[in-house]
Amino acid sequence: MLDARGRARFVRNRAAVAGAAVVAALVLFALVGPALARHDAYTSDFVNGVSPTGMPVGPSAGFPLGADTIFRDVFARLAAAGRISLVIAAASTAIASVIGASVGIVAGYYEGERAPRLGWLRLDVDGALMRLVDVLLAFPFLLLVMAIGAALQRTTAVTIFVVLGITGWLGIARVLRSKTMQVRALDYVVASRALGQPPATIMLKHVLPNVAGTLVVLATVQVAQMIVADSILSYLGVGIAPPTPTWGRMLFEGQPYYATAPWLVAAPGVAILLAVWGFNMLGEGLRDALDPREA
Amino acid sequence: MRSIRAKLETVPSALAAAAAALLVVPLGCDGALRAPIPAAHGEHETPRRGGVLRLATVYDLRSLDPALPPDGLAGHVFPLLFDGLVELDRDGRVVPDLAERWDVEDSGKLYRFVLRPGVTMHDGAELTADDVKRSVERSLHPSTPSGVSANFDAVVGYAAYTSGKAEHLEGVAVEGRYVVTFRLTQPDAAFLSLLAVPAMRPVCASAGDRSKRGWLPCGAGPFRLEPDGWQRGTSLRVVRHESYFRPGLPHLDAVEWMLAMPQVPQRFRFEDGQLDMLMDPVQADYARFAADPRWRDMGVPLFENITWGEAMNTRLPPFDNVEVRRAVAAAIDREQFPKVKPAQMSASAQLLPTSMPGYDPTWACQPHDEAAALEHMRKAGYPFDPATGVGGWPHPIAYTLADQSANFYVAQIVQQQLARIGIRLELRVMNLPAYWAVTERQGGTQMAPWGNQADYADPSSFFDSLFTTSGISPEQSNNVSFYSNPRYDGLVARARHEMDAAARQGLYRQAQEILCDEAPWAFTWAQRDYVIRQPYVKGFAAHRVLPFDVRGVWLDRGDAPLEQVLRGGLR
Repeated sequence: MLDARGRARFVRNRAAVAGAAVVAALVLFALVGPALARHDAYTSDFVNGVSPTGMPVGPSAGFPLGADTIFRDVFARLAAAGRISLVIAAASTAIASVIGASVGIVAGYYEGERAPRLGWLRLDVDGALMRLVDVLLAFPFLLLVMAIGAALQRTTAVTIFVVLGITGWLGIARVLRSKTMQVRALDYVVASRALGQPPATIMLKHVLPNVAGTLVVLATVQVAQMIVADSILSYLGVGIAPPTPTWGRMLFEGQPYYATAPWLVAAPGVAILLAVWGFNMLGEGLRDALDPREA
Repeated sequence: MRSIRAKLETVPSALAAAAAALLVVPLGCDGALRAPIPAAHGEHETPRRGGVLRLATVYDLRSLDPALPPDGLAGHVFPLLFDGLVELDRDGRVVPDLAERWDVEDSGKLYRFVLRPGVTMHDGAELTADDVKRSVERSLHPSTPSGVSANFDAVVGYAAYTSGKAEHLEGVAVEGRYVVTFRLTQPDAAFLSLLAVPAMRPVCASAGDRSKRGWLPCGAGPFRLEPDGWQRGTSLRVVRHESYFRPGLPHLDAVEWMLAMPQVPQRFRFEDGQLDMLMDPVQADYARFAADPRWRDMGVPLFENITWGEAMNTRLPPFDNVEVRRAVAAAIDREQFPKVKPAQMSASAQLLPTSMPGYDPTWACQPHDEAAALEHMRKAGYPFDPATGVGGWPHPIAYTLADQSANFYVAQIVQQQLARIGIRLELRVMNLPAYWAVTERQGGTQMAPWGNQADYADPSSFFDSLFTTSGISPEQSNNVSFYSNPRYDGLVARARHEMDAAARQGLYRQAQEILCDEAPWAFTWAQRDYVIRQPYVKGFAAHRVLPFDVRGVWLDRGDAPLEQVLRGGLR
């Protein structure tokens, strides 16, 4: 996807490299952090986690990032939450990318054309898909999460990433539709159509490879947005049920203690900030690297 | 074309600035509180009339009909809207209210109340004995899901009336415009106290003869509710009943609540002068206010009169097995809970809180014993090996809880403790009304934290309906563990009619031993609320029974400029 010149452009972009490094560090932290922690992320320590004043202990050798409101290790929970938050962000982005790419490519391919007749119905594929996008854009995803959570009586990681995924593809679809409209006008695509290749083959073999770079960039930025969305849901109390930690829930739970135990909000806050910044920088770096005008 | 160099210079700077702000903002808040807004006069001034008391609460309201079980804020509001024949003073003693006197005849089986003449209700009508009878019949009507109905089964004709066989309750009789009598089949030691509960308080004729939706609450209390005074889920405002029968009362023009407000914004608003009292301080705030000498005297500890426990649905597996319930009761280490909120929680292994007659500080009738808990699991057929984690109840247990309470923390601790005996809780967090609805529905959940607050200063307020068979109903059940034990029912019924105090206490002791052994609840902690007031809020004192009594409150804000008051006072 990235040729030698693209890779060179990426490496020269120090913000992008920094973003990639931050993302790699966070992934590493999520993977090995729980193993490095001295305490289990789910277990309270009523002996060492409590200060003489009754408040949770602050950062110390035993608790590198302090203890939380029921005396669990914030470091261990931050790492465990990183796994969950990153997995949710990645999984929901994957779902959104698949749906968004499919809808965008199909809509863009058929834009301005009369689609094949389906029995008595002649369907305006592009129009129908784009109106669907318009409707879904107006639908509050928070309400959807709450409705699904209420129906299932419990919100799990799967619930969250599925909901985020099926509501997060709209922007991707719109961008890829535009990109597809450009690609389908290229000579070799026109030639393929003239030779009678089926539309599905053309879209898979000729359009998809040409929009893949754009999709990767969009997906990378989307991961950052999903991290924020997951944090918002958790912060509002409609995220994953406790005691499973997420960065947003940790922020929510630490909020009343912002003045007396500031590490409770600082730790997840910085984690969210770094993750969002890292993925945004990485995405922008990829976009610049893939854009020949940046040469 | 976008410049990479420019991005290099700006983006990391923005990141650094944001990160710094995130760290500095909380660190910069060094714990210093704004100064209290001073009172205009000293502590011993004569109460002044006027002003609006502004409050906020995490609770919401489902209903303001006193015939229905009070929940959330309703227990705070009922004493303002509805007066009873009798009321409880701050020490929980029965004193006259709408009835100026009463006589007890026929060895405790006949109560004759003489009403105060000239008491005006919120609709302008004069209170009469007919209103009392109609209100009592309304609350005990078979179509009303009353939480206290079963407590009145000693009233003559109760069974016929509540089964729909009789049109009226025979034992309640009108003997003149201002005289009403209650005839009992047998003496009831708690009867006078029971008449103080909201369900027995007279309501206006507009209430009709049975509870129905859409009724604008109307009674004879010191405050009344205007048609637009209750914005569901948002706010409640009650205004002074100008024709209240007690001269000079109430002092306040109005009391208003912001509903369902999380604790953190409550504290900000209080400190900012937008609230006059802070009803729900979190532990961190409590510690900050208690440590500040300017605020230390503004804290008012309330009575410890709420008991919490882990209610186990005895109709659903695995809690239909008494050994599993015993295992849960033994596995819970109650001493851990007060470490989370030492100001408001104390470990409790029995049903009665400290404010209740019969409380025994030396009795932990559900002691923590993990080895015993494991043995109970083995007897139940679900042996668990803590070393390997093998065994135990094989399925996750649905545990329902509300998102706004100390139980949010307690639940996670209980979850850890029960995991050690092979019971896995699956926490289902929901908003308060949903939590109530699910937990009170038969088959709604397997397990939930549940609390009981005294309705009156008598042990029967805890022993009745929470655990009796008559307290069970398919929806809005008072008995949320759906526990039924004829021996327990018999002991509690005998205790209520036993007039000898020592013998009565002995019966309740036996009843509690059954509860502790069969464990429909694993008792966990007792709640002692704590409120913080601005110095200009005067006349507030803790009540042994009522959760939050502002009937005697008055404001002495003085001449402080409004702008200064709104900004949070003098520094």
